[in-house]
Amino acid sequence: MTTVKQKNHTTVSKQEWRRRGFIIAFLAPTLLAFCIFYLYPLLTVFFTSFCKWDYTNITNPQFWGFADMFNNYKYIFTTYPYFWEALLNSTFWALLGIFFQIPLATIIALAFSRKIKGIKLIRNIYIIPCMISSAALGMIFLQLYSPLYGIINPIIQIFNPEFSGNILLQKGTAFWAMTGAYIFFTGTTTLMILGNIMAVPEEIREAAMLDGASGLKQDFLITIPMIKNTLKTVSILAATSGFLLYNEVFFLTRGAAGTYSISYVIRELAINSPRSQFGRANTVAFIQIIAGMLIILFVNVVYEIPSLCKKLRRN
Amino acid sequence: MKTKFKNLNQLPIGTRIVTIISLIWASIVSLTPIVWLFISSLKKDPLARPGFQLPESIYLEGYISTFRDLNVMQYFGNSMFISIVSVVISIVMISMSAYVVARMEFWGKKLVNLMLATTLFIPATALTYPVYNLINRLGIYNTRTALILIYACSGIAVSFFVIKNYYEHVPKELEDAARIDGCGYMQTFWHIIFPVARPGIMTAAVLAFLNNWNEYYWASLVIIDREKLTVPALLSTFTTSFRTNYNGLFSAMVIIILPPILLYCIFNKFFIEALSGGAVKG
Repeated sequence: MTTVKQKNHTTVSKQEWRRRGFIIAFLAPTLLAFCIFYLYPLLTVFFTSFCKWDYTNITNPQFWGFADMFNNYKYIFTTYPYFWEALLNSTFWALLGIFFQIPLATIIALAFSRKIKGIKLIRNIYIIPCMISSAALGMIFLQLYSPLYGIINPIIQIFNPEFSGNILLQKGTAFWAMTGAYIFFTGTTTLMILGNIMAVPEEIREAAMLDGASGLKQDFLITIPMIKNTLKTVSILAATSGFLLYNEVFFLTRGAAGTYSISYVIRELAINSPRSQFGRANTVAFIQIIAGMLIILFVNVVYEIPSLCKKLRRN
Repeated sequence: MKTKFKNLNQLPIGTRIVTIISLIWASIVSLTPIVWLFISSLKKDPLARPGFQLPESIYLEGYISTFRDLNVMQYFGNSMFISIVSVVISIVMISMSAYVVARMEFWGKKLVNLMLATTLFIPATALTYPVYNLINRLGIYNTRTALILIYACSGIAVSFFVIKNYYEHVPKELEDAARIDGCGYMQTFWHIIFPVARPGIMTAAVLAFLNNWNEYYWASLVIIDREKLTVPALLSTFTTSFRTNYNGLFSAMVIIILPPILLYCIFNKFFIEALSGGAVKG
């Protein structure tokens, strides 16, 4: 009896070892990538945000000391001229992602979900801007906005014949011009939403039809609640990409006329400027990480509101 | 025009209007920049005929000189090579770990899940300087390897969740049957799970490919030599290299955006099916 039991025990543990080996082997590459690209840089960002570290001491960052620990933060918050502008802009772009891009993408996805002849063609065309990269789009829009040969100024001149400036160089218009250069191109998001709309079972639509809900009414009452999770995911992606905007700033304005973004500030402080400020760049980076987390939290809260309202009503 | 529409008449009037407006909007928004760019590239002097005015006569000098002087295929090849290699590395790596996390119990699973989830919260640009520093210290600054490493490691979170969600839909019985038939863990994964989860893995792969293909931030940061640049990074050199030769600038831009558009025209079925998780037929 005992020998059988023992034999059983050893085979089990052999299998257990094989299982463990498999788990470790399959997790190791990802965890390694995580440590190289995220964990190590993240710790560096955090610790050096409390250090004096700039072009004068490139190889050895020095801790400010506990008394002056927040020196970099103080500088960024009170002295650095572009921080608040950048934070405000980036937050605004994140909010536009959630409240403008996602509704727009959803409405277009709903239009694409109708059975109409020729809809495939429009759908395919709508993806093209996503294939040619935001850098290329930035370049194209830079030309479109040109007062010399673009198409924006002739359009403005219809309403205001005296206008002759460059909309990218004027405060106010520059921000909106830059926003307009990326915000309408929601191709991939639209497709992801469309995929989910199409995956809603036909029976549910038919049942809704029988109840008298058709068209947009059906979409808002039945379809959209069913794809809520996907909408949340794409909202998070849209919000973070709006918050991290860099390419458009670089290609269109280089931060002129009040269009700084947080990413642009980080890169300017750390790399582009001849008097690089690594410590301070990492301070901004750390603030960016915290703000990014808050934005994702915010998206989650926004998507909880409908169910909260329902609960309140029931009570 | 209306007779062309098959099912539109059955929709309520409000829905019909919204649908038509959305479709017109979608076409205008996506075509205007590209059409304008193309028209402008045919003008001898875009300054003389600004906006949407048609060119007086078709002028192809810009295209000819671009083909002669700018080795487009080289940059296109760089982008292709870097995007594909990094996507293959990251997707293989992530589909392995996502499987383990989705389907097996082990100590520290929650921690792994949490760690990978946090990467979604960490903006890549926040890590600019540490990563830049690391690339320098590894001695791979200004190489394609550096970009491949960055692309393979960044964007873990999105791929991880897309793929993990898909694994969770694969019926458990499938695995059990394979194990009873004597498949090892490796075999079960490669022969049973991987093929079944293919649509999910494809979605993640195409998303990652598009991200890497369009990526400008890192590409302009870690590569300096002109012949190693990717297409997006090359674009930023255009404003200085063409200066006032607008016809040349427009022609070069058309040539730069043409390969991805052609590629998309050939493979659009694949892209659309993959991005929609297999639900939309191209």
